[in-house]
Amino acid sequence: MPGVVLSARDLSKRFGAIEAVRGVSFEISEGETYGLLGPNGAGKTTTISMVCGLLARDGGEVTLDGAPIDPGAVAAKAGIGYVPQELAIYPDLTGRENLAFFGRLYGLGGAQLKSRVGEVLELIGLTERGNDRTDRYSGGMQRRLNIGIGLLHQPRLLLLDEPTVGVDPQSRNAILESIAALGRQGMAILYTTHYMEEAERLCDRIGIIDGGQIRAEGTQKELVALIGQRDEVRLSVSGNAVAAAHAAGKVPGVVSAAARGDELEILVDNASRALPRLLDTVETSGAHVRSVELIQPDLEAVFLHLTGRALRDAE
Amino acid sequence: MRIAILVAIKDLRQRLRDRSAILVSVVAPLGLAFIFSQVLGGATDFHATYVVADMDGGELATVLRRDVIGSLEEAGVVTVIDAPTEAAARDAVEQGKAGAAFLIPVGFTAAIQAGQPTSVDVVGARNAGLATEIARSLAQRFSDGVVGIQLAVATVADLRGTATTPSDIARIAAAAAAAPAAVALVDREADLRQLSLPSHFAASMAVLFLFFSAQIGMVSLFEERRQGTLARILAGPVRPTTVLFGKTLGGFVLAVISMTILVVATTILLKADWGPPVGVAAMVLGAVIAALGITTLVTSFFHTAEAAGAANSAVAITLGILGGTFAPTNQAPEVLAVVSLFTPHGWFMRGLGDMHGAGASVADALPSVGVLLLIGLVTGAVGFARARRLVTPR
Repeated sequence: MPGVVLSARDLSKRFGAIEAVRGVSFEISEGETYGLLGPNGAGKTTTISMVCGLLARDGGEVTLDGAPIDPGAVAAKAGIGYVPQELAIYPDLTGRENLAFFGRLYGLGGAQLKSRVGEVLELIGLTERGNDRTDRYSGGMQRRLNIGIGLLHQPRLLLLDEPTVGVDPQSRNAILESIAALGRQGMAILYTTHYMEEAERLCDRIGIIDGGQIRAEGTQKELVALIGQRDEVRLSVSGNAVAAAHAAGKVPGVVSAAARGDELEILVDNASRALPRLLDTVETSGAHVRSVELIQPDLEAVFLHLTGRALRDAE
Repeated sequence: MRIAILVAIKDLRQRLRDRSAILVSVVAPLGLAFIFSQVLGGATDFHATYVVADMDGGELATVLRRDVIGSLEEAGVVTVIDAPTEAAARDAVEQGKAGAAFLIPVGFTAAIQAGQPTSVDVVGARNAGLATEIARSLAQRFSDGVVGIQLAVATVADLRGTATTPSDIARIAAAAAAAPAAVALVDREADLRQLSLPSHFAASMAVLFLFFSAQIGMVSLFEERRQGTLARILAGPVRPTTVLFGKTLGGFVLAVISMTILVVATTILLKADWGPPVGVAAMVLGAVIAALGITTLVTSFFHTAEAAGAANSAVAITLGILGGTFAPTNQAPEVLAVVSLFTPHGWFMRGLGDMHGAGASVADALPSVGVLLLIGLVTGAVGFARARRLVTPR
């Protein structure tokens, strides 16, 4: 049974009148990738900043391998690798110099540092460009280096704060594969994202966070099970989709309905029973149904079920 | 300490790649010191050309031409040209051939001997203020002397009860004008505790731009914050104050290196005489610490690199002007000399000056070093305490 690496209990943080994080608790074990899935502003970055001691907590406790992590806990923080959401690299230094600087901050030196820099450059596919200044890198290369710096000292816990935002699909795929490999090697990973597909692909367990609170937590299977035997119906419409969603929400058997562009995402107890009346109601509301899709429940449906809003609409 | 050194080395590496830092720290002060010393370097070597139109030709006119104006010619301060007419003298001034003209009218000697009023006209050239002022002073001095002698001779004659002939007056006046001054003013430059102009401008530009290079380390905190690297550093096993210390250390090393380059370069290129090396090193150290302290304090009041940079520049220029970096305070009104003592620039220039002159030694600069260190430590301590908010988790 792998031991608990990170324990966060009852974290809270307030910025003036805004309560950004309210009683967030979770644990991550050795080799486990834990995802915090939620829209922008849900409290993901605030949570991760409190975990690594960048933000002072108003309440709660964080431990790494049992040792408390506070802003003043210098030694304990050596076990954490932090990959911020925005690029955090020196543009006027080379990739190799960036890695070496941060490696030295974590106590690496000499042959060990040189070896690790080489390994990480290899891992992130930048061996050939290691001696180039990073302001001459493409966006994807900079993102990969941004992640590589967090891995350099082989931390017990890797914190990844939306590392694929703004990354092209090819680089994104490479990044996700690298992270999955790290998880298999036994690293504990906290991964925040608002991309449902990433959470589904990478994370062993997921905490769905919204409004500063974790609304549900578990494996993907456990989370989908929260919806029960419900079905998700996706209608493509023309006309006023918002009014149509509002009308659809009043149909008996409909649990929730939300408009996203020209699509209505509707969670129903029994699709075959509700569908005829649902279609009729939408048409009556003034919208015209162009296509109907019955889809397998996923994390998007879970978020809709838990919050009454589609994940992407909440951003 | 290890991490502070790492941060400082990283900063220095970045600054060396940033040509603007080299421009501000070395090229600009060196260039300006060169320009100022070339443009103003000859300001103390005054020389003027005067033209004299003696339309009188009498005994006292000759005394004025030969003994009064001529004495300056003998000293090599002026060149005197004799003009045949007043018009020729005026033309010489108009054409810029002379800085001023003395016009001695017909009947000048006779008028003085008769106790009648007369005058010497001084015509000054455009843009020759100092030459004209000196010419006016000469004429005024001669006039004052003549009036004094007339009064003295008349008093003596009155006491004797005998009349004084014009020739007596002329003889006495000529003798008085030619007599050496009772009190001689001797300018012994070696005893003056001040820098030569090339040295002054080398030192003043160095200390002025020191305040620009010293701010670079602390202001780069904002850049680190903007690009996210500060958060990344602080997420690691690093104390926030260590980052501040590293930034200060980087600024200190950069400032010391740039000052050292400037001292050596101006000594070689401009023949600047900074003073004894040990004393200069102490002065540079004091100035660097003062600059770091003040820029840290100023920076601590702002939230962006742009605002902090602008404020530091304004403070540097203001202190530089008040501290006499653009013009020596010994040539400024007394109040400015007093105000300069409220600036590190003023103490830096004063300390360097104190090491010059007969009998001066390094010990003479120690009070200035002490004041600079005090300024740096006090402002630095307050600034450092305030700047902690820039790196402390909120």
